[in-house]
Amino acid sequence: MTKTTLKGLALGLTLPVLLAGTALSQDYDYGSFPDTTLRVKLIGGAQYEPLYAEIPKWEEMTGAKVEVLSRKNHFELDREIKQDIAAGTLDWCVGSNHTSFAPQYGNIYIDLNGVVDEAVLAKFDALALENSTVNGRLVQLPRHSDVSNLYYKKSLYEDQANKDAFKAEYGYDLAPPETFDQFKDQAMFFADAPTFYGTQYVGKDEAITGRFYEMLVANGGALFDEDWNPTFNSEAGVRTVNWFKDLYDANAVPAGVLNYLWDDTGLGFASGTVALNLDWAGWAAFFNDPANSKVAGDVGIVRAPKGVGGKRAGWAGSHTFSITETCDNTDAAVSFITFLTDHDRQMIEARKGLLPTRTQVWKDVKAEFEAEGNDFQAEVVDTYSLSMSEDAFTPPLIEPWIEVSNEIWPRLQAAILGEKTPQEALDEAAAEARLIMEDAGYIN
Amino acid sequence: MARTPRSSYKTRLALTPYLLLAPAFLVLIFVIALPLVFSLYTSFTGYRLVRPDSLWNWVGLRNYERIFTDWDFWVAFGRTILFLAIALNLEFIFGLGIALLINRITWGQRTLRTIMMFPMMFSPILVGYQFKFIFNDNIGVLNNALQSLGISDAATPWLVDRNLAMFSIIFAEVWMSTSVFAILLLAGLFAMPRDPIEAAKVDGCSPLQVFRHITLPFLMPFAFIAMTIRSLDVARAYDIVDVMTGGGPAGRTELLWTLIARVGYDNSRMGQANAMAYVSIILSVAFTYYFFTKLVAARRYMGGAA
Repeated sequence: MTKTTLKGLALGLTLPVLLAGTALSQDYDYGSFPDTTLRVKLIGGAQYEPLYAEIPKWEEMTGAKVEVLSRKNHFELDREIKQDIAAGTLDWCVGSNHTSFAPQYGNIYIDLNGVVDEAVLAKFDALALENSTVNGRLVQLPRHSDVSNLYYKKSLYEDQANKDAFKAEYGYDLAPPETFDQFKDQAMFFADAPTFYGTQYVGKDEAITGRFYEMLVANGGALFDEDWNPTFNSEAGVRTVNWFKDLYDANAVPAGVLNYLWDDTGLGFASGTVALNLDWAGWAAFFNDPANSKVAGDVGIVRAPKGVGGKRAGWAGSHTFSITETCDNTDAAVSFITFLTDHDRQMIEARKGLLPTRTQVWKDVKAEFEAEGNDFQAEVVDTYSLSMSEDAFTPPLIEPWIEVSNEIWPRLQAAILGEKTPQEALDEAAAEARLIMEDAGYIN
Repeated sequence: MARTPRSSYKTRLALTPYLLLAPAFLVLIFVIALPLVFSLYTSFTGYRLVRPDSLWNWVGLRNYERIFTDWDFWVAFGRTILFLAIALNLEFIFGLGIALLINRITWGQRTLRTIMMFPMMFSPILVGYQFKFIFNDNIGVLNNALQSLGISDAATPWLVDRNLAMFSIIFAEVWMSTSVFAILLLAGLFAMPRDPIEAAKVDGCSPLQVFRHITLPFLMPFAFIAMTIRSLDVARAYDIVDVMTGGGPAGRTELLWTLIARVGYDNSRMGQANAMAYVSIILSVAFTYYFFTKLVAARRYMGGAA
């Protein structure tokens, strides 16, 4: 049987599943709101836009109009929302939100429990809904999620000379890393600065705090104890900082890594000059596209490594939609966010590599990739599905999280650059974090 | 006692100037004075952006006391002065050079003047991204060029090294804004009378002497106007720095406004951020006063009105 026939057969088997999904989404009654104009503030950016192209369909179904007041990146949107809170101008209904940002906003958003149809909520991944809950209130409906796994350049691991040399130097077989210690060994082994690097990491802002946090947890540590006392200046914390510092000192990461954010790490791996890259699923298609990437066809993926605590890194969050308490037409707003997160809309985003929050979409998008013969993307779906269900955890869902993060990351940088010892840096950050937690009323 | 029509007319006549000026005063009060008074008030409160009721939480001088013991703030303050001094001087030197060169051109001058203004037309955020990728140590254009040309075999960490990071940001700032100086100085050159120069040439002055004793003193008032405008801009530098380094790594490129924006918006501590902003205004006032003093001196030297 030819490959084409197999693909056709697979597509034939998949099609009823997809059609069933479509039928399910059309079963939902989105209501009729002919005289309503819904004012919304949405996150903007290339990967978010395809979903917004669907908005006219909801307008056509319900007779409502959508007025988009903002379409900015999340940090700018966060500032705008804070200004709205300060100025008392929350005269809009639906806003993009994020699990890491939501706790800051107090009670400006309604509890969606009892407002969104229970049958609809039942279709979402339970962990994604749990992570969207702040102080027992479901303040956001998850749109897509985010967790990191490890991309690697396959040819490096298939090369016999590499295998022999690695075994001789480190005493174990060369295979994609299962632990952060192996990750560090392999990154140092492959590095040949300045033309090739073992790995790279995001080096500033909440990005490096998040990486530090997930490795801290994987190494058996915690940011806070149960009474919200900062505990990240522990042995596990120092061990985690040393992982970043050792790689930096060994030139196994680019020298400018402390200024890197997500675009830099993604483009760096796609440039073919990096062996291992812990990153989110949104890059998978880009990495495997010959038009954009020099590693296309040579990319492997495994779950994020484990720390010495035996746990895998799994810093996760979700992009979400929320409805304001001041909204003048909650029913229309609920209909709108239900539409934007329904099966078909999530399929649109999942095809681009974004992680769905509805369980059925995981299955359907994988079936679609398999039917197209896109084995790499199917493997990506499998890997991320597993890490979302088994490894994912959020940062503490507390109001001062971003503020605490802003005390941690400059000190992580200082430790990596050798301006402070890891213990000094973490002790300083913990002392500042304690003040913030005291000010916020978490510590008496 | 009833007013006579004549006294009523006189009163109206006396009030007319105030009535005519009232719209301007009202605009000034609502657009400038009230926001200033409000932000000054908030600097004495524990105002947090996400808790509007904290606006009434009066903390007296606590925010200011914190600032005066905050070493990071004063390091950022000093670094902003250094940044401002270097950027303004470089922009002046390059702007003067460009203006003198363009002034010599007789064909295509208008086109060149337009091209010269291109960098000013970009948003500072775009300029920040442009230079962030030029100075990227791994995939950046600069390092790749240096390596390909055999000038260097190292990946220079332009945006991480303590000195190079500041250099990179100053480079971006100078690239974007040198044309402000060039345009103003070119306007000065166009307005310059030819007689003193021709007289000096007849008297046997060298081109360098003409430039040193006639052209440059004539241009200095224009230069000080440009410096006043640019010092206010640079003292508030934020976009380029935020995009290129975010004030890091480890605070190595932290300037006043990257720090203030983080405290005010990311940390939501607007009361403390406003206190920082009021202290930092000292910087703008000091530079403006200094440049105005120099402007008056330069005009007096040229025989103009003080």
